[in-house]
Amino acid sequence: MSYEHLIVERHGPVGWLINNRPDQLNAMNARMRDEFADAWIELDRDPDVRVIVHTGEGRAFQTGVDVAEIASDGVGMQRYRDSVENFDLHFTAWHQHVWKPVITAVNGICCGGGFHWVADADIVIAASDAQFFDPHVSVGQVVSIEAIGLIRKMPAEAVMRMAFMGRHERMGADRAYELGMISEIVDPPDRLRERAQELAETIAKNSPTAMAATKKALWGALEAGLTDACREGAKHLVSVWGHPDQEEGPRAFAEKREPQWQPLEPTTDTGTP
Amino acid sequence: MSYQCLKVERRGPVGWIIFNRPDAGNAMDAAMFDELERAWLELDTDPDVRVIVNTGEGHAFQTGVDVAQLATDRDALRENARRTRDATLRFTAWHCQVWKPVIAAVNGVCAGGGLHFVADADIVIASSNATFIDPHVSVGQVVAYEGITLIRKSPMEPIVRMALVGRHERVDAARAHQLGIISEVVDPPDALREHAQALAEKVARNSPAAMAATKRALWGALESTGT
Repeated sequence: MSYEHLIVERHGPVGWLINNRPDQLNAMNARMRDEFADAWIELDRDPDVRVIVHTGEGRAFQTGVDVAEIASDGVGMQRYRDSVENFDLHFTAWHQHVWKPVITAVNGICCGGGFHWVADADIVIAASDAQFFDPHVSVGQVVSIEAIGLIRKMPAEAVMRMAFMGRHERMGADRAYELGMISEIVDPPDRLRERAQELAETIAKNSPTAMAATKKALWGALEAGLTDACREGAKHLVSVWGHPDQEEGPRAFAEKREPQWQPLEPTTDTGTP
Repeated sequence: MSYQCLKVERRGPVGWIIFNRPDAGNAMDAAMFDELERAWLELDTDPDVRVIVNTGEGHAFQTGVDVAQLATDRDALRENARRTRDATLRFTAWHCQVWKPVIAAVNGVCAGGGLHFVADADIVIASSNATFIDPHVSVGQVVAYEGITLIRKSPMEPIVRMALVGRHERVDAARAHQLGIISEVVDPPDALREHAQALAEKVARNSPAAMAATKRALWGALESTGT
């Protein structure tokens, strides 16, 4: 598949999805939005890809919807409005039911709708010069879906503060790390991609089947009360019992070698998002 | 009552449950599963016990299911499988519906299923040399219960990272403290029990009835998804 506003690459077991509209700070226009839908599915279905890294070209990671472009092409605005009203979104890994591990590597500015990819990733790391802010309310827009995801994943006060401070305050990578919004700061910033590749390769050593079931158990838990979530989680846990990876894992550990995992079975169960 | 895999003690108003299989990293075998259920109920029903502290003997706090031992005991294996599948586990305070305050005092490595006891405690403190690691996916196993509860009690991303990175990375006590997974780091490490006792005695000065109702209210809130 060919992409205009994304770069999609493979490096070993790692699939890369790179926002590529650097002159617009990687803001998402209609075309880019459609390309996201395709790119997540392409990498999720590729059996050679074990882990996916998402980052951006240039000085921004993502700055949300390119409202100017979407409003000017005649049909874009209505299409965008319909997709939001119906919660029929397809531009993040969570929207697309991707059950492979997803690492977001935030380079530079992440603002507004850019938080979708922070909220919907499994692991988030950032360059030391990354900055986070949410200018929606400063231009009369509402903060909703991305912040709803974030307040379940981190202390809510910090998310509310960003929502209400709008464009008048930025959060640095160090505070994002303290709050557990991200788990690693990469310094110097230009080492970000190298470090993301390294982290992804480490994760790619684990059982793809066990990781997919773990991801379903943990993300599914956000949908339910604790006891119900544990009951649902138990189904995912048990689903892997008897799987060859559960013999291979301990054997490889005992023999001090890398395990030979089974390839991840293409899933027809799309989960609950 | 006698225990082989645990030490169950009283010190003033504080009941202690100490994992006692130090040569096996305090991993849970069939006998420990049975004893844990018995110990939680014994201390919960003892009117002289106001607060319960849970810690481990030796270098490890708790390293999860002793798969090797369980594989040799078919009845126990089958029973554990059934409880895991049916979500009827009975080895933590939460499983056993203990409404007295429970303090986990993590004295070293806490790995895999050991995280159940961190997730299900009310208060968690750790010695400065404690580490947290979840190797499940590195041996082909799935993370469910422990992770599901932990993502509600601390920022989610670091818990998901721990689950997906598996045995290739550890979280140390300082980072666990920063994230609010634990509320206190005790240094030097050998002051942990003394410190846990002092903390428990402070908690024990509060109204047992009010604390039990508080505990039901707060843990109950994790059961609902909204208002």
